Amino acid sequence: MFKWLRIAASRVRGSVVRRRVDEDFEEELAAHLGLMTEDNMRRGMAADVAAREARLRLGGHAQLRETNHDLEGLPALDTLIQDIRYAVRMIRRRPSFATIAVLTLALGIGANTAMFSVIQAVFLRPLPFADSNRIFVVHRVGNRFGGASLSMPIFLAWQHEGATLFDHLALVAWRGSSTLTGRGEPERIPTAGASTELFPLLNVRLALGRDFRPEEGRPGGPNVAILSDRLWRRLFQADPTALGAAIQIDGDAYTIVGILDKSFEMPLTGVSEADLWLPIRVPLTSTNPSNGGLLCLGRLRSDIPRAQAEESLTRPLAELRGRFPNMFMPAERATLEPLRHFIAGNAGAAPLLMGGAVALVLLIACLNVANLTLAASTGRQREIAVRSALGAGRWRIARQLLTESVVLAMLGGVAGLAACYALFDAIVALVPANIPHVGAFRIDAGVLLFALALSVATGLLFGLAPAIGASGLDSNAVLKNANQRAGSVHGRLRRALVANEVAISLVLLIGAALALQSFARLNRVQPGFDASEVLTFRIEIPSQRYSTPAARQGFFETMLARLAALPGVEHAAVANVLPFQGGSDILFSLEDGLGPDRRDRGAANVRRISPEYFHALHISIRAGRGFTDQDRSDTAPLVVINRAMAQTYWPNRDPIGLHIWLGKPMGPASTEPSPRQIAGIVEDIREASLAQLPEPTLYLPYSQSPSTSGGSFIVRTTRPPMTLVPDVRSLVRSLDTELPVTAVRDMPAVIASSTVDWRFRAVLLSAFGGLALLIAAIGVYGVISYSVAQRTQEIGVRVALGALHRDVLALVLWQGMRTTLVGVGIGLAGAFALTRLMANLLYDVSPTDPMTFLGIAFLLSLVAFAACLFPARRAMRVDPMTALRYD
Amino acid sequence: MGDRKPDILQGTLDLMVLKTLDALGPLHGYGIALRIEQVSGDVLRLNQGTVYASLVRLRQRGWISSEWGTSDNNRKAKYYAITKRGQKQLAAEAEDWAQIASVIGRILQLTPR
Repeated sequence: MFKWLRIAASRVRGSVVRRRVDEDFEEELAAHLGLMTEDNMRRGMAADVAAREARLRLGGHAQLRETNHDLEGLPALDTLIQDIRYAVRMIRRRPSFATIAVLTLALGIGANTAMFSVIQAVFLRPLPFADSNRIFVVHRVGNRFGGASLSMPIFLAWQHEGATLFDHLALVAWRGSSTLTGRGEPERIPTAGASTELFPLLNVRLALGRDFRPEEGRPGGPNVAILSDRLWRRLFQADPTALGAAIQIDGDAYTIVGILDKSFEMPLTGVSEADLWLPIRVPLTSTNPSNGGLLCLGRLRSDIPRAQAEESLTRPLAELRGRFPNMFMPAERATLEPLRHFIAGNAGAAPLLMGGAVALVLLIACLNVANLTLAASTGRQREIAVRSALGAGRWRIARQLLTESVVLAMLGGVAGLAACYALFDAIVALVPANIPHVGAFRIDAGVLLFALALSVATGLLFGLAPAIGASGLDSNAVLKNANQRAGSVHGRLRRALVANEVAISLVLLIGAALALQSFARLNRVQPGFDASEVLTFRIEIPSQRYSTPAARQGFFETMLARLAALPGVEHAAVANVLPFQGGSDILFSLEDGLGPDRRDRGAANVRRISPEYFHALHISIRAGRGFTDQDRSDTAPLVVINRAMAQTYWPNRDPIGLHIWLGKPMGPASTEPSPRQIAGIVEDIREASLAQLPEPTLYLPYSQSPSTSGGSFIVRTTRPPMTLVPDVRSLVRSLDTELPVTAVRDMPAVIASSTVDWRFRAVLLSAFGGLALLIAAIGVYGVISYSVAQRTQEIGVRVALGALHRDVLALVLWQGMRTTLVGVGIGLAGAFALTRLMANLLYDVSPTDPMTFLGIAFLLSLVAFAACLFPARRAMRVDPMTALRYD
Repeated sequence: MGDRKPDILQGTLDLMVLKTLDALGPLHGYGIALRIEQVSGDVLRLNQGTVYASLVRLRQRGWISSEWGTSDNNRKAKYYAITKRGQKQLAAEAEDWAQIASVIGRILQLTPR
């Protein structure tokens, strides 16, 4: 090993200080000859005979030097250096070719490198926890609600079963945000929950203090909190005495026991931004089967196979189904999914779509440069033929040309990296903010390595065709025919390359057009309510200071009355959650077993609203009535349903006046004390997303649903909604100085935030589609103008023989358009095959929409036509006399 | 022996050069070639240049070192000397060689029955 290294080092040294080593060797040989000659003369030889005899005994001088060369240096490296030197010279001789090639490659490599930094963070970078490949998300496949979250009884059962399988089993929970008071303005802090074993499971050491103790993870345990480094710096200016300090969270006093390390991250959606960690209280037993947004993590013991753990954890599910028959499915199984895999799986299609699009852009760039290189090598056929006639082998010539390509690609890579650095923030800003990722998007060693590898691969890719083409030349033919017909050797290959460029950009453009249309149509969708002139904001109510339902009710009523009294306010309403902001659903039983299949229970989304809600959003009441201020906690319990719910459960019957019992199928603990009467039916609205049809939804009067802990206010005004904000803030302050007002937006902004993914796809694909179009247009232009230059003589002859200008024009245009049309044909077929992959990313437009396909094909042909027009006009102006004298 | 020049294996030449330097101390390339020829009783007639390839190989492995110096008759020449590692290597290779030689010798002495 060491010997090998020593030899390599010596060889590298030899090839670096080549000249010195050579001189040294020459001197040594000279000394040898001198010594031997003297000896010979001493033995009586004449001087010239002695010298000749010495040379003879030493052996062939050139051969010795060559051997020494090979031993002392790196023969392959020497040739490479020679190739590179020559390549640089060739590139410098054709600056315009090099500039276009480098710029094209820079676009492709730069975009891909930036994209790789995203892909790396989303999919590749390992989690920042020790032995992170043994951390699994433990969840269920085939469960009733989908998703990985689970209820407390499941966790308790798994904890019991898993004691011998896992080093640690813990819960992590998304807690939204909580209100921090007592340190300046009240504010909302993103919060997460952790059961006591979470931090040991992750192998995370806190920067200061300690993690949660067992007694703190039990119901009724002491209130303790762990802060993120960021929050600690902001609230306490990084003062270590913050440990032990008390803070008010949602009205309760919590003691700070730990500060997380600056580097700590938990890249789970909803948890990653948490600044405040509170213990999850795990009871000894639980009868509450509802999913609490709990995610179970396990650090599997190294000697336990994954399948065995899954097997063992599936067993208790059957027993749970006996206790909660409606909450578990018969085929439910426990599954262990690596945490890293789980996180990457939540990223959705966006990063892959981006990656695919930039890869296609790079492919087009490669084709384009291959094309340029071919064009250039056509001009060099004589040079290559001469080299080949002088004894350069095919491989030697191909390698020389490949070296040129790689050198060119490296230049492109360097320029691309520069572009990547310059545009990095803009590109990363394109990535939807909710994509979970490990570590920041950044240009690190891995990304640089990727750029390097990509440059080399790119150079080989686009250099291969020209190299093979050139090395296969018949040197005799080329040398004999001089310049004649030199262009036709590669003509077909080059046209094929351009046709492919056209084809790929057509695919990208069609994808972009489909995404754009989806986004446009989505924006035209009427959600079913009137979003204009509506202001929304949210207030969380701490359950400590507003501990009774009546107190909360009172706050909301006062707020609504004061809001309604503000000048310009038409209606003021409150709901537990706004449209497009999620929400929860509930199971209910149909009192007398109705419905199309006589089923006895159903599911619907739940909204808790104040009476003015329907008026404020202009949702019409189709039958019966909405809520009024007279519907109170002590009057008859009511529910209003939407049309979709009426049609789903009572298709042939008027449901008004019927009773449903909320929560009853979920067991006694979740069941409301009495059934509710259906008071009215309202028009459907879209609120899961604009792209989704309305689902069965039921509305409860907030006065009759005491679990309400906070509310989103909806204020319809006659003045620009945002001008109301100062009034709202001072109003809230006058009622309670410790309530933060958050998420202040007008309703259109709420809707727009629900379509960011769609906009992302449309913008992204359009950007890359446009880029592809530009590169392809350059390609078409390059091929045609080169061919015009090649055919100057032929065109001159035609003109001399009487061809008209328009004949020449038609000749050139037809040549260009024929290539383009072939490409369009391939592209249409490719798009037909590929766009169906994005079917579920589209809205209201078929993935093979004929109008889109034809329209984009036409657009692309038009651009290609324009690109041909310039060289065609040049051809038209060829002067026959000049052309004939050309050679 | 006549005109027959025995082919010498590359490794064998390396071993001979190493042993020569070990036995005679620092020498220049010509000196080494000369000694090997002399010791062989002129059985070996080298293309003297070939010792240089050997010298490069040995130097790259760290078994010999080199230094410019002045010869007896005041001529500048490069002198080679065996290193500690080279001596160790020589001992090992000499032992190997002796073993192989004795095996080959015994085999060649087999008489047909």
